Amino acid sequence: MPNFNDFILTVKNDLLDFAKENLEEYKDELLKDGTQFVKKTKSDLERWTEGLASGTLSPADFEFLLKGKKDLAEMEALKQLGLSKIRITKVTNSIIDVIAGSAIRTFL
Amino acid sequence: MIIRKKIKSTATILALFFVIISCSTISVFSPEAYKQAVDLKVESLEVMSFATMPYTDYEEDVDFLSTELSKAYEFSKGRPDNEISTRQWEILINPDGNLLGGFLKRWDEEETLSQMFVTEMQRLVADAFDTIIGLESGKIDPSEIK
Repeated sequence: MPNFNDFILTVKNDLLDFAKENLEEYKDELLKDGTQFVKKTKSDLERWTEGLASGTLSPADFEFLLKGKKDLAEMEALKQLGLSKIRITKVTNSIIDVIAGSAIRTFL
Repeated sequence: MIIRKKIKSTATILALFFVIISCSTISVFSPEAYKQAVDLKVESLEVMSFATMPYTDYEEDVDFLSTELSKAYEFSKGRPDNEISTRQWEILINPDGNLLGGFLKRWDEEETLSQMFVTEMQRLVADAFDTIIGLESGKIDPSEIK
């Protein structure tokens, strides 16, 4: 007859497996988004600097674009904040599933 | 004594669990909000493409677009737990900012804008809409909630 300690041990192992799988996936997504934003910013700045040097962009245009990029960075950060909140909700639901699954496997 | 300690630590874990849940509240996916953002992205980029021509020729189009953008913002603001998406709309349409709202204001003030500036701003505004669309599409479908 399994006891409560067996149940705790099963939950612990199941949660560890769950965390390893999900945190790794989240880390990869976050790194991908961050790298993409930096790459895009770099190529944007190169084009804008060339435009400024050739006169196709005025200093006012250039400044407006730079400030626009800053606004965009804030919107991107908000997206990441929102997505991490969604992930917490999903993880919370999954933790409940893991605990319920562990209990069924231990006691039934 | 040991039982008390166990109860205390369990209570702490439960309290922490509920704090995390309450801090992580965010609205569920809305197909209407998603469609609104996609449609407005297309319409905004279209109107922006005319900004190399006199503002006065397109004033009606800009007014119509501004109204649609305000409607989208108000819709976002009225949804429960939707502060993050609403803040994104605020930044995008702010006339004193440097994305779509600021672009339309500048077009009005300067009458015409340069081709390169318009093209580069279209890229920024497209990316800005994508952050709104990306967040909305990442939200949990109401049918998935337990």
